[in-house]
Amino acid sequence: MSAQFASGTVGRGFGDRLILGATIALAIVMIMPMLWAVGLSLKTNQALLIDTNSVLRAPWTLTNYYDILIGSGVFRWLLNSIIVSFGMSLGVLVLASLAGYGFARLDFPGRNVIFVLVLFGLAIPEQAVILVRHQLFSDLDLHNTYAGLMLPGMSAPFGVFLMTQYFKAIPTEIDEAAMLDNASRFKIFWRVLLPMTLPAQATLGIFTFLHAWNDYWWPMVSGTNPQMYTLTVGIASTQQNFAESAGLGYLMAQAVFAFVPVLIVYMFFQKYIVRAVSGAAT
Amino acid sequence: MPGIELKNLIKTFGAATVIDNVSLSIRPHEFMVFLGPSGCGKSTLLRMIAGLESVDAGEIWIGDRRVDQLAPGERRVAMVFQHYALYPHMTVRENMSFGLRNVRMPTAEIDKRVAAAARMLEIEHLLERKPGQISGGQRQRVAIGRAIVKEPHLFLFDEPLSNLDAALRVRTRIEIAQLHQRVEAAMIFVTHDQVEAMTLAHRIVVMNNRKIEQIGTPMEIYSRPATAFVAGFVGTPAMNFAPVELTDGPNGFVSARLPDGVTIPTRIEQASLPGSKAFKLGIRAESLRICGAEQGDTAGVAQFVERLGDRTLVYVRLSDGTTVVAEDAGTSRVALNDSVGVKFDGACAHLFDDQDRGHHAVADVGS
Repeated sequence: MSAQFASGTVGRGFGDRLILGATIALAIVMIMPMLWAVGLSLKTNQALLIDTNSVLRAPWTLTNYYDILIGSGVFRWLLNSIIVSFGMSLGVLVLASLAGYGFARLDFPGRNVIFVLVLFGLAIPEQAVILVRHQLFSDLDLHNTYAGLMLPGMSAPFGVFLMTQYFKAIPTEIDEAAMLDNASRFKIFWRVLLPMTLPAQATLGIFTFLHAWNDYWWPMVSGTNPQMYTLTVGIASTQQNFAESAGLGYLMAQAVFAFVPVLIVYMFFQKYIVRAVSGAAT
Repeated sequence: MPGIELKNLIKTFGAATVIDNVSLSIRPHEFMVFLGPSGCGKSTLLRMIAGLESVDAGEIWIGDRRVDQLAPGERRVAMVFQHYALYPHMTVRENMSFGLRNVRMPTAEIDKRVAAAARMLEIEHLLERKPGQISGGQRQRVAIGRAIVKEPHLFLFDEPLSNLDAALRVRTRIEIAQLHQRVEAAMIFVTHDQVEAMTLAHRIVVMNNRKIEQIGTPMEIYSRPATAFVAGFVGTPAMNFAPVELTDGPNGFVSARLPDGVTIPTRIEQASLPGSKAFKLGIRAESLRICGAEQGDTAGVAQFVERLGDRTLVYVRLSDGTTVVAEDAGTSRVALNDSVGVKFDGACAHLFDDQDRGHHAVADVGS
């Protein structure tokens, strides 16, 4: 009996070590390009033209970052990305929460039909509507505006679905207790139910932020003015002219600017991201 | 404190009627229990009083105010829910004061009421904790505290003990009874547990199939059940029933002849019975005593023996195939398949006519 138990323990330990080893290997594969980009950004372009492996050897320099500080549009693009990502996340959270509450708690004619229509949005690829959307935004004179960059992402069928399911999971007894506590419908939503959906909102907010931060296609279509570039579009625009650009080190310094904010967001919210990815938050 | 009056209440869900013309008066400071099986409509009736379900027809009065058109928060009722329904992101103090803040009560008064309720329920040390940090029993106390601070005219309890373990359930039951002594408001308590109903209630409303079967004190309900349903639902073990033929007995009382031919003299007056010929005899286990096989009114075989400590319940199969539950002493030596005699105390027997209406002995307890 004890021998079997011991054998099982050994087996589990070996399995755990195997999984740990694989996880570390994957983490290295993921992080190496970022470390390599940081390394490249710390080398002069002349040195990199001779040998990119020189990244492993001194001297290192902050010249590329200095050049960005004085001459690049990357700060403007960073600001645009921050505004668009936060704005879109906030918009999605507000709209999806309100819609989710409505679908979960309010009884109105056509509720189920409208909910199904919203879910249809999950099945429609962005590519299928981008021309129409481009025309619409053009007619509304929304291109090259923050609203134009943010609005499409705010229609988030997945967000509505997530919040609806989350509100449905909250017992209606809570609403009823609040009704007996003299709370208005808005107060029940705002003070009682909404705080209870914080885990779902964290999940939705993080995913929306990451999506907005990494989004390339729509910002490229809508934000044609370099002053309205987001980081992804801005960096790509400099890579397009790679032969004429200031070089690889300079490009990598801009890339570091692109991923450092996301890294910071991840470090702050990693608990929620892990829960979201594992499905524990919902 | 005002009394509560329900007048001809009707509630339907689609084509289904779930409350069918229910009328009821609850006196000030009365502890009323709605008792019945699942789906009988007792919780729906409670929710209609709270304002959580609309009233399709009829009226609800609390004192001289008609409240059935008012919002739940305007009725001056407080409710304790089955699953507590505490706000998980608020502290115990915030949970208890939330309703008072919504009516813009001065902070000093809120603090005073919360402190008094917390002291009464012995939860002062929990005030800054959140519901997730306290036990199930403590959550139940907080839910009761949230109701107390409102100083309502009526407390509503929707099966509040069903989530507690057996020991805590008994303790909380006693505490609710003590709470009722300390507050002036009436209380309505919904349960399907007859022990809770019998121990807590001034009066019990027994409900079945959307209607009230009987309203009475616990002993009236137990001793003089108005219908066969009440007789069968209240009491553990359930009352024994057997079809009988009635014969004339001494002093104007009837005797009941069981299918196996045994005749039981009762104390039910012939004159009080309807003309119907089809009757069921109802008799509780404590009125059927186990004795020697030759000494009883009838005899049978012990099919199952339940030893409860203070008494023993013996399931006896009679010669005609009917099984009755009879009582024996806690020290009973009856074993499975023993031949035993059963002695009937006919003075405690009930008769139920073909409409299932109950007819009782003239000298019954509680009559």
